[in-house]
Amino acid sequence: MNKTQKPVLVIGGGISGITTAVEIAEVGKEVILIEKEPYLGGNVVKFNNYFPKLCPPTCGLEINFRRIKQNPGINYFTSTEVVEIAGEKGNFKAKLKTEPLYIKNNCTACGKCAEVCPEERPNDFNYGFTKNKAAYLPHEMAFPYKYFIDDEYCKKESCNKCVEVCNYDAIDLNAKEEIREIEVSSVVIATGWKNYDASKIDNLNYSTSKNIITNVEFERFIASNGIGENKLLRLSDKNEPKKIAFVQCAGSRDENHLPYCSAVCCSASLKHALTIQELYPKSEIKIFYIDLRVAGRNEDFLVKVQNNKNIELIKGKVGKITETENNNLILEAEDILSGKKIKYEADMVVLATGIVPSNLNLNLEKDKNQFMLDIQTEGIIPVACSRKPMDVSSSVKDATAAALKAIQ
Amino acid sequence: MINISPDIKFKKQLKQVSKSSLNECMQCGTCSVVCSLAPEDRPFPRKEMIWAGWGMKDKLIGNPDIWLCHQCGDCTSYCPRGVNPSDVIAAVREITYQHYAKPKFLGKILNNPKWLPVAILIPTVIISAILFTAGTLQIPEGPVNYSKFFPHAWLNSSFTFLWILSIGLGIVGLRNFWNDMKRQNEEFESKGNFIQNLFMILKEITLHSNFSTCTAQKTRKIAHLLVFYGFIMLLVVTAFAIYAALTHNYPLGLAHPVKIAGNVAGAMLFTGLGIMIANRIFDKKNFGNSTYTDWLFLISMLLLTISGVIVEAARFLNWGIAYHLYFFHLICVWFIIIYLPYTKFGHLLYRVVAMVFAVSINRKVKA
Repeated sequence: MNKTQKPVLVIGGGISGITTAVEIAEVGKEVILIEKEPYLGGNVVKFNNYFPKLCPPTCGLEINFRRIKQNPGINYFTSTEVVEIAGEKGNFKAKLKTEPLYIKNNCTACGKCAEVCPEERPNDFNYGFTKNKAAYLPHEMAFPYKYFIDDEYCKKESCNKCVEVCNYDAIDLNAKEEIREIEVSSVVIATGWKNYDASKIDNLNYSTSKNIITNVEFERFIASNGIGENKLLRLSDKNEPKKIAFVQCAGSRDENHLPYCSAVCCSASLKHALTIQELYPKSEIKIFYIDLRVAGRNEDFLVKVQNNKNIELIKGKVGKITETENNNLILEAEDILSGKKIKYEADMVVLATGIVPSNLNLNLEKDKNQFMLDIQTEGIIPVACSRKPMDVSSSVKDATAAALKAIQ
Repeated sequence: MINISPDIKFKKQLKQVSKSSLNECMQCGTCSVVCSLAPEDRPFPRKEMIWAGWGMKDKLIGNPDIWLCHQCGDCTSYCPRGVNPSDVIAAVREITYQHYAKPKFLGKILNNPKWLPVAILIPTVIISAILFTAGTLQIPEGPVNYSKFFPHAWLNSSFTFLWILSIGLGIVGLRNFWNDMKRQNEEFESKGNFIQNLFMILKEITLHSNFSTCTAQKTRKIAHLLVFYGFIMLLVVTAFAIYAALTHNYPLGLAHPVKIAGNVAGAMLFTGLGIMIANRIFDKKNFGNSTYTDWLFLISMLLLTISGVIVEAARFLNWGIAYHLYFFHLICVWFIIIYLPYTKFGHLLYRVVAMVFAVSINRKVKA
């Protein structure tokens, strides 16, 4: 192995970025892994469980975090974004910007700062449905396991309470943002995805109806460390819903929104329906779909759902949702198989929103939907959901392939 | 087993007229849900879109739902595949005029721009021939008096005869249309006779209430009402004029109530048409693609209105070119009145008949 070779830069610390970084480092090459959030794990760490084995994210990610910790070849920077990349394969210069880190690495996560912190912020880890303190631990298995201060809500020196209680002198409210200039041999773009903004689908009334949530929000509702702590609760009255409807293609396969299929939402809704059935075996579930697109072993979920008497699959896209006085929701669709319009009143609705590539403000080749094209300047390698929608296991395979490309 | 025999020629025509890529429809049914008129049972236009994709002409042409649609465009704006269902339904209506046209060639030449010269030539030649026979094919001397150019007896008898002939041919087409609708809807029991059922839809025709359900195109209702009542008033005024020409002194003075009604009706027509045309030009997003058939009807109607007003003014002002303008006005009258069953004006016949048929099989729109 050529030790003089420059490290590989991996942009994005989700499951794909982590996998790429670990695979590269484990063949003896150096990696710089950056993540814009204060923690690694991306979208997957927010899930209740994920495909194909329905493991909780703690499982797969924990192993990866250990591989990162044990490998001196991986340098990772959280709260960090890339500002600029120039150069060519083997010789890129990148400029990284790290947000001010008010809490230093010697934080032991004792939690005293959060105890005294008087300011609250919407907890973005739970999509703003809960609140936490301005000094906070992003979540129970955050990696790096340390507290973080949100300077949008922190009153800094005028408050100073956290500095006073910290026994480890880990808090510096005067911290400044940091710029790093690095030289790397190649760049892996693992910027991943965010879900489509459901409020843009005006006929589904997501933004005005409390009991309509998106599929990613559903994961946070149902997760053991989530909003409902293993319960599904209606936001309007905190009751457990008895009739739940899933709206497939909420934005996907729609020229007015996302013209492409997001590939994972069908499987996700089938998984969610089975999760609800496990929790509430008497609940009634309807899944409204255009086509059910479940490939490979995920088809097993479809069979399970088809065999479940409490889950009905209805072919017909929901064209309208209206909220009733008691915050129930009336879904309207044409049942294509009978040719009749149907109205279904549900207690709760889950919108299967699709995958949108995360925005990366660099001059790279993108398609019309903002996904990265495979062909970039040599040495720049897009991976997984930055280039097209895919599930976790496909992303991991894609990441392994990207690692091989990056070290050549 | 469903026996499907696609009519490829029809499908090509449908694609061409609607400018829709029919096959991209994925049958999600969003259109049927957002439609403010589609009935609960067998709603439109989702089923029409699959028939269109399969080229099932018989199913589409013999389907009264095509005429229950008021083309508000809600389905098109929510369609996830951009296949413009409202334009497809409108295209089926256009093809209907051609399909039932008797004689066939009139349907063809009035729906294809390359035959427009022929469509203009026919009235020009026939009107000239009538004038020649009457012995008045020249510009008369003295103050403008249109009856010197086209004697009332000749004008009223020839145009009335031709109109009755064209409506008669239109009724032959309507009979075939009715029978096709019956054949395609055999499973539904029909009730009441035609007149009874026609009576049921009079309220909708006079009030245009289904137009109000349209959210994207608010000005459509008022525009159509203005044109509708303006035109009816002018028909009544014309009937009175024929009667007056036989019994009283004609033309009527400007202060005569019927003359006033005629001028008001002209203003209503002009305003209504102005709104319709402005909407199509300045609000393409909400009004979709306009076709040749649509524009031909609107423009000939507008020219009829404008030339009518100018011809009237030319008489009072004694313009030298008054007779030429009058001749042009007569060609416009021909386009609207004699060509009625073959142009978009045919919707007056086909839509009413389809609405009556829908009543007879108890099919009601949602609104």
